[in-house]
Amino acid sequence: MNITDSFTRIRLIAGTTFLEAVRQKFFNSLLLISIALVASSTFFQQFDFGTGELKFITDFGFGALFFFGSILSITATTQLFFNEMENRTALTMLAKPVYKLEFLTGKFLGAHLLMLCFTLVITVVLSGILYWREMVLLERLGNELLSNGSLIRYGDVFLFGFLQWMKFGIIAAFVLFVASFSNTNLYTIVVSFFMLIICQLQYIARDTYSGMEAGWERILVLGLGLIFPNFQLFNIGDQLVFDVEKAPAVSTVFQITGYGAFYSIAFVLLAQVNFRRREI
Amino acid sequence: MIVKFQLHPLLISLSRIVSILLLLVLLGLLTRPIEAPAWKAVKAGQSEMNLEAFEGALGQGLIIGVLGGFRAILADFLWIRTNIIWERKDRAKLDSMVRLVTTLDPRPDFFWINGSRMIAYDVPNWRIREEGGYSDVSDERQQAIDLEQSAQAFDLIDQALNFHPNNAKLYLEKAQIYLNRLKDDANAAKWFLKASQQEDAPYFAGRIHAELLRKQGLDAEAYDFLKNLHIELPNIPSAQKGIILERILNLEKTLEIPPHERFMPSKEPLVN
Repeated sequence: MNITDSFTRIRLIAGTTFLEAVRQKFFNSLLLISIALVASSTFFQQFDFGTGELKFITDFGFGALFFFGSILSITATTQLFFNEMENRTALTMLAKPVYKLEFLTGKFLGAHLLMLCFTLVITVVLSGILYWREMVLLERLGNELLSNGSLIRYGDVFLFGFLQWMKFGIIAAFVLFVASFSNTNLYTIVVSFFMLIICQLQYIARDTYSGMEAGWERILVLGLGLIFPNFQLFNIGDQLVFDVEKAPAVSTVFQITGYGAFYSIAFVLLAQVNFRRREI
Repeated sequence: MIVKFQLHPLLISLSRIVSILLLLVLLGLLTRPIEAPAWKAVKAGQSEMNLEAFEGALGQGLIIGVLGGFRAILADFLWIRTNIIWERKDRAKLDSMVRLVTTLDPRPDFFWINGSRMIAYDVPNWRIREEGGYSDVSDERQQAIDLEQSAQAFDLIDQALNFHPNNAKLYLEKAQIYLNRLKDDANAAKWFLKASQQEDAPYFAGRIHAELLRKQGLDAEAYDFLKNLHIELPNIPSAQKGIILERILNLEKTLEIPPHERFMPSKEPLVN
């Protein structure tokens, strides 16, 4: 297997997958809904109690990114995988000298590229709204705040977007892993959503049972913590954007990125273990 | 003759599942050295959520909020619902809603302060009315209800202090409940003092602490405290140093402080 040829095949599959994905109505409508929601955050601000306007808009934007991003990551990856199966294009592709791992990696990268587009658009829209509101606030409050420089650290908005994108990578990879042994679209989506919920909330169980005496319940929770990745790790929105002192260290960001990359690769490889045996 | 053992398909599937689970456990163990320090740093900056609160949130169908996105907006909408419940005087629901809102978004002190006010000031009134009104319910019973409700409010404020340990408003809230609802000057003085020691404390917290000491007959303590307060406070109108000096002079008369031991304020003119 020539490594250069292999990369070319992966690139071609990823490119086709990405193009197919951006043409999907589901992606476009979800993207529009997300943009509309982020843009309307100033409207929802009237229901806010106690938090500052900019903080509210940031929370709202981050919430939209997480929520719609997770939906898109699961459904788009599932659709992209099963479309190939249902249209029998996978069969044609794999009949040629294309390895199953290359096919899976290509699909993963295509879906991940799609999520990069989604994340970029949402973070750019959010930054734009934050900039607009910041300018309005600065104009209202005059020079009082100008001396302290910008109120928002825009780099942090993109950093949060990047970390969410890393998380979407794990989601896309585990969707492929579920799809590798699943026969239907629906089963993959439902199981993936359950996995997402477990990954997002496993830290609560871990924290609760960490103080327990040794017993089978503790072992079970420990096992749960080891089997499912901890998605709460990527949820650092509270520490970003406004407070320089609270911001996580660069090493922490690198560790989270490494964690995301490691799990993404591992799930694609696990998907390959199942997919290898699968008859198409 | 070679005998070939063929495993049951179910056993094959089971062994595959177990091997995948073992691989995932191995993955978890391999990533632990990266995850553990990162999680420690991330967790320190996150509002905690315990299993109990999470169960409550699930009952309200708030899975999206709990999952991380839209926690703030969901808490805001739930606060509006809390106010509707408060208008209906449904105290059982009110308590659980206040706890749910503060669990979902513990960051704004607004929810903690207003929730504790509802529990400490409004609920006792409802309970006394339910039992026949102020004229029919004995003073002991009224006091017992006040104590019970205040304890619940203190519990809420104590939880809030875990999230906002330096927020003077929370210390003040506790002090106000002791003062206004429980008429407990000693404890109120203690909490006004704690409030005055916080960075964002309003200047009146220290003055009220001294007044409450005076009310309890602790004139010497009040005198010493006011002297220090006068020295520490900046010379700005909101600090009301003139009033503090007036009180110091009154206490010097009451305590019959000899002229040479009396307080000598700095010479710069007071801004009132």
